[in-house]
Amino acid sequence: MIKLRRIFFLASAFLLVLIKFTIDVIGKNVALEIGGLSIFRELTVIGTFVLLFLTADATFRRRDQNPVRRLGVMLILMVAMIVISVSLNSMPTGGFDAKNLALLPLDYPTIFVASLEGLAFGVFTLLVLQSLRDLILYQRKKGTFRNFLILVGLILIASCSAIVQKPLDTSIFTSIFTGLAVLLAVVNSFRLPWIVFLSRREKIYTLIFTLLLFLGFTVINTVLLHTSAASRLLLYYSYPLKVFIDLVTTFGNIFFGLAFVSTLFHLPTAEAFDRKRSEVASLHNLSRLITQVFDFNELMETVTSMTLEVCQASSSWLEIIHTGDESVEERAAAQMLLQGTPHRPVLLPAEVRSEGVHYSVQLAGMKNITEREIWEIMASGNGNVREAVMVDLKPLVVDDFTADPRLRHLRKAGLKHGSLVVVPLVSHGGLLGILYATKEAKYGFVKDDVDLISTFADQATIAIENSRLIKKSLDRERLFREMLVAQEMQRKLLPQMLPKFLPLEIGAISTPAFEVGGDYYDFVELGNDKIGIIVGDVSGKGVPAAFYMSVVKGIFQALGKTCSSPREFMIKANEALAGSIDKHSFVSLIYGILEIGSGTLTLARAGHCPMLHIGHDHVEYIRPNGMGVGLSRGPLFDGAIEERTLLLREGDVCVLYTDGITEARRGEEEFGYERLLQVAQESRTDKAAGICQQIMNAVKTFTENQATHDDLTLVVLKWSGHT
Amino acid sequence: MSDFKIAQREKDSVNVLELKGYLDAHTAPKLEEAFMSLLQTRRFKIVVNCRELSYISSAGLGVFMAFIEDVRKNEGDIKLTNMSAKVYNVFDLLGFPLLYEIFKDEQDAIRKFFEKSK
Repeated sequence: MIKLRRIFFLASAFLLVLIKFTIDVIGKNVALEIGGLSIFRELTVIGTFVLLFLTADATFRRRDQNPVRRLGVMLILMVAMIVISVSLNSMPTGGFDAKNLALLPLDYPTIFVASLEGLAFGVFTLLVLQSLRDLILYQRKKGTFRNFLILVGLILIASCSAIVQKPLDTSIFTSIFTGLAVLLAVVNSFRLPWIVFLSRREKIYTLIFTLLLFLGFTVINTVLLHTSAASRLLLYYSYPLKVFIDLVTTFGNIFFGLAFVSTLFHLPTAEAFDRKRSEVASLHNLSRLITQVFDFNELMETVTSMTLEVCQASSSWLEIIHTGDESVEERAAAQMLLQGTPHRPVLLPAEVRSEGVHYSVQLAGMKNITEREIWEIMASGNGNVREAVMVDLKPLVVDDFTADPRLRHLRKAGLKHGSLVVVPLVSHGGLLGILYATKEAKYGFVKDDVDLISTFADQATIAIENSRLIKKSLDRERLFREMLVAQEMQRKLLPQMLPKFLPLEIGAISTPAFEVGGDYYDFVELGNDKIGIIVGDVSGKGVPAAFYMSVVKGIFQALGKTCSSPREFMIKANEALAGSIDKHSFVSLIYGILEIGSGTLTLARAGHCPMLHIGHDHVEYIRPNGMGVGLSRGPLFDGAIEERTLLLREGDVCVLYTDGITEARRGEEEFGYERLLQVAQESRTDKAAGICQQIMNAVKTFTENQATHDDLTLVVLKWSGHT
Repeated sequence: MSDFKIAQREKDSVNVLELKGYLDAHTAPKLEEAFMSLLQTRRFKIVVNCRELSYISSAGLGVFMAFIEDVRKNEGDIKLTNMSAKVYNVFDLLGFPLLYEIFKDEQDAIRKFFEKSK
């Protein structure tokens, strides 16, 4: 769409140029005294340049944002303009006949050359004005654009006032506006803030460019536009255009003259300005560190590469220091963070003893330096810079490698470093790491550099520490989630529904002390109206116990149905487990098989708490001999396992439990067997689930609702007898 | 948490560990360490006096299991003495009397070592 419009503008402009050319050609032969024709002729010129300006503005907008580039482009344009103008002037043309303040071309080539000269100068002037506008509006303030518009307005008024004038005439009106326009041009030319923000290098270019542009415009103004040949061509082409060109080039002349002087004055401070600016930029970049705390390796990269930027160093590296008083976990965590770093410490001494402090060094990041070089820098017989900083915890500056006893050994190696700065990264927890930067030049680090790099080191310390904290808390969060999953999975290992075997009623509760535990209970249907009931407890608590608990579940599922007696099951379970279980772990089990037809309960106990049997007229802990599963293999275990059989009568209650119940504590006191027996006896008339709940409540009341420190499991059987 | 202490002494080339307080999952590593240092210096004749041991959990029992094999391989033993009824009950429930020699008195246990070596 824009492209189409541009083509339309160009085509219209071209048409207008043709019309004007035709008028001029005809006007040479015939004195056309048609009213307003000369005004129409000027209007075509104005129209042409308005269209060309619109085209140029749509085409070259935002092309060269950099002021220096813009100056370069203008310089090229100007040279081209001078070349074109000079060559057009040297064309063999007949010239003009000045009559009545009007110019009459003597031949056709004059008309043609005048048209070319007018077009070329006009376009050049438009581009100059456009560039000047962009330069002036750089970092514009409130009045900037207004001042510029006033200037352009004055230029246009001055130009238009010339429409009705004959080429060689002058008018007071035009002169006044020309004077005002020049005044405004001076005002606008003081808008030079863009120079301040150029780098030193750019300022040098700007100085050259502005000088050349100033000289160029001077040449255009004084020579080209005022030698009779060129000025007559333009005057003939269009008086208003000539005024316009004069004013814009004068404006350019003033502007670049002032720009040159301004640049010249800014040059001495350019270096300091550059430094300050890069400091500001670096400090601003520090915020980048904060956002990188999620990736430790990336953070190390940024710290080293920004060290280079901060003080224009030639190389830098960062070491993470682990001191002896760090706990094993902390050190492991820190090393975990660095896993996968491309720079593993190979040549660096992994463990060093200095001044009685044990520490290890990890090379976390490096720029423009090799591990070998770092190793060589530290390999001195006279102590090294790292240890010096570790002792003082203050920045260390080495102005001259060859003069420092700790680095003098490098002279032979021919290393390319001249000066060095070493900054410790100290957090409230102590020395975190050490940051190094080198320069090729001796005395390369001035006080400002050291201050800046110290500030930077402080920021880096915070970032590194945050990174560690975030990693820690993420790990914790992940573990927490995994434990929740494990808990859910373990809950599913326990029976989801209690089996119904009238007249047997079953109640069961199990709560782990932590997220997961080592308690287990289960039931199995054995056919012939028999049911197996098992309760187990893996030694220890938490995750290791939970692992074995799931193994026990597997064993029970596999062997339970194949064993006709509890003793047989215990022996087989021990065979299966003893080989694989850890030396200091074991499992206590109690397993009973109940015949529904007769109410006969056969019980074997492998190191587990005895079963509480509440009968009609007596209460008893049933404790057949036995040994914990996994404690011993073979005959010793087999011989230890005994079986007991009892006949249940209507209303009998059996309580199977883990030691978490009897050993639940309040201070020094344990819940104990006596209390369990009492509570069970008092609630014996209740249903199985009710008895279960009452025992649990009693335990909780006893411990005063304090968190139990062992897993609690309770299975209550109630035999209602046959009716 | 109630604490746990171990006192170690040597009597007639037998090493006696006196346990005091609560031996559970938290304090078990202390006992483990004590056994470890005995084994590292190749002292395998060990008597554990439980006179002041007020509680032992399954994790505590596990410590004994972890070392007994090594100790016996080296012609030594871990013998237990002076248990309170409550602590003995825990050992007994798990069938430990079948695995370890348990004595009423420390002196009996020490004497037993010499009977054997004769």
